[in-house]
Amino acid sequence: MVVKSTTENPGENSVFSRRTVLKTVGVGAAGITSAAALAACGSGKEAAAELEAATVSFVYLGSADQAKSWDALFTGFRELFPQIDFKANAIPSDNWAAFADAVAVQLAGGAKYDVLNLATEGALLFADKGVVLPLDDLIARDKAVMDAALADTHPRLVEFGKKYGPPDGKTYYIPSGGMNCMAAWVNKDVYKKAGLDLPTDDWTWDDFLAAGRTIKKKTGAFLFPVTAEYFVGIMPWLTTNGASTMNEDWTKATCDTPQAIEAAEFARQLVVEKLSPPPGGTFDRFELGIKGELACFGGGRWPVLAVRAANAVDKYEIYDFPHRGANRGSPVGWACFPIMKSSSNIDASWEFLKYLSTEKGASIFAKSGGTASPCLKSVAESQEYLADSPVGTEKLYRALDYATAIPSPTKGNLTQRAIEDVWGQIIAGNIKPDAGMKKMQEQITKLLV
Amino acid sequence: MTLQKVRQKQGRFTPFLFLSPAILFFCCFIFFPLLGAFGYSLITWDFFTRPKFVGLDNYGKLFKDPIALEAIKNTFIFTLASIITHVGLGLILAVAVNRKIPKFFSYIFRTAIFFPFLLSWAAASLIWNFGLDPTFGVVDYYAGKLGFPQATLLSSTWALPTLIMIDLWKTLGFCFIVILAGIQTIPSDINEAARVDGASGWRLFWNITLPLCTPALFFVAVTAFIGAFQIFEPMYIMTRGGPDNATLSVVQYLHLTAFRNFEIGYGAVIAVAIFFIVLTATLVQFRFAKRWVYEG
Repeated sequence: MVVKSTTENPGENSVFSRRTVLKTVGVGAAGITSAAALAACGSGKEAAAELEAATVSFVYLGSADQAKSWDALFTGFRELFPQIDFKANAIPSDNWAAFADAVAVQLAGGAKYDVLNLATEGALLFADKGVVLPLDDLIARDKAVMDAALADTHPRLVEFGKKYGPPDGKTYYIPSGGMNCMAAWVNKDVYKKAGLDLPTDDWTWDDFLAAGRTIKKKTGAFLFPVTAEYFVGIMPWLTTNGASTMNEDWTKATCDTPQAIEAAEFARQLVVEKLSPPPGGTFDRFELGIKGELACFGGGRWPVLAVRAANAVDKYEIYDFPHRGANRGSPVGWACFPIMKSSSNIDASWEFLKYLSTEKGASIFAKSGGTASPCLKSVAESQEYLADSPVGTEKLYRALDYATAIPSPTKGNLTQRAIEDVWGQIIAGNIKPDAGMKKMQEQITKLLV
Repeated sequence: MTLQKVRQKQGRFTPFLFLSPAILFFCCFIFFPLLGAFGYSLITWDFFTRPKFVGLDNYGKLFKDPIALEAIKNTFIFTLASIITHVGLGLILAVAVNRKIPKFFSYIFRTAIFFPFLLSWAAASLIWNFGLDPTFGVVDYYAGKLGFPQATLLSSTWALPTLIMIDLWKTLGFCFIVILAGIQTIPSDINEAARVDGASGWRLFWNITLPLCTPALFFVAVTAFIGAFQIFEPMYIMTRGGPDNATLSVVQYLHLTAFRNFEIGYGAVIAVAIFFIVLTATLVQFRFAKRWVYEG
């Protein structure tokens, strides 16, 4: 189990351009590189002495120009294990689901990898196909190290890892890398210009709507970009009204509940009242925000790099997502680094995974900004994570207390496509919210059979 | 055996020797993959687990699959619109450019029409994505000013017509150049003789230009059908087949089925269906060509 990285939904409406996302991952990688240097502990040296020379093949979402960043990460790891070399393979993709598909096709074509960089969307797919290695024996072998990591991991993440793991009960992924919840990134300047007080974490949809109307009237700025991105644009509205696309077990669709329909109606209302830019565009929400044309946007940890790059950290504060009544909510997703069953370098790959799970590694990753919040509580509360970040950054981790795991069944790539397509029609006004959500329900139900 | 007989025997193989590179290429990249597709269509396989022979079951599934039928319908609409617009507009533009206009304008015109054809579909799709952006798209903005629908890629009614227009912009240049070349091969003395006989401009076009450039029109119609029926990139990049499958093309559905849903057997059935549709349409076009194509 791992982090929901910056590219949770790096589609047409994502906060960052694809290029920015790729750079972001690179920065994260560079951060972990430094972590490797710090992680040169005694046990590592012992393990290093036992490990045979190997070249670990690693595949990640991104373009080939990122290889340097990943190389830097591996160089750091090699300070601990000089006999281990890495071969990084980049696969450019629009989102994690498409990336998982591309990797699957490559594997079918005979490609050999040792370690994959996946997100929640591809986790079940690969476990279901039986191509990733159960880690139970390795975890048992390094029980002390893994127990320490799990003890420091948010209990809900551990719970999600077990609950949404493959039905065979085996462990294919360990908490490493990070996770992402959703929160509202509020531009203080726009609020000030509109003569409004900043919101509180208790703000409701009604408060949100009222603020948006005032902002529109007094500044002309948009309130929030309503998009058809599963993690960033759809799930936050559903979860903040106590709804989701599927039930807790991801076995039944729940798109046509009154709460889900209400969430769709609210999202559409934001578009109708022109509080959101017209959906379907290629606008950059962060750029709009910096220009003072957007009051807030939804995001996890990943916008911090763009905010830092624009020297705009002080312009933003992070709040819980506005909610309906008492229904505080957020989706959560996590990253995964499985070892392939066909790997001939299992021990070297396992050392790499262990290294990614260490507090030292996670600390450096958090400090560099990264694309996700850490899985480890100690790191999430540390200055490495909170420094040079907007006020309220700690809420990105605290959101785990009430977050809903983003439903990603085995056919998650197909359900995501169906959900985004119908939601896109709803917010564009092609179909009424109730009819749209019923249609979504039918489509997801068929896919879950 | 005499030397002459040996040479005769060797001579029989000479043409095949010259043809061998093309035959090898055809077998490796067309014929064997085609046989492979037929083979795959008889199994169920998800890339990872053991394939299972199911006979013709996958074919039965095709006719009961509403999304497949919708994709085929969309593709036929796209293809027919493509043929009509490309042949019609290509002919009009070719005739216009072929008239005695200053060379400078003729070059400008030809280049302007042909240039989009040189772009890759990926680049063209991204350009139009920006142009049609509902927030800051220039094309979308002026379309609204002129009373045309906006945010068309989000509309299940207008998304396909929008893609048809983009396809016309992108590939018209090829048809235009082929038809123009066809018109320019018409001997000028035929036109001059007709003029001496008192034929008007319209008469020249209808009785000389049009009949004599029918081979070019036929070529354009055949290639336009084959190309349009295999359309994939603009749908994949601009609309992802949506909204509500309104722009889902049959090749895109093949991709979704085989490489996202991992139903290799069923994906192969769709590939075989595309092959037979294109083959049938081409044979029909050739069959009817005798009725309207001038053969000299």
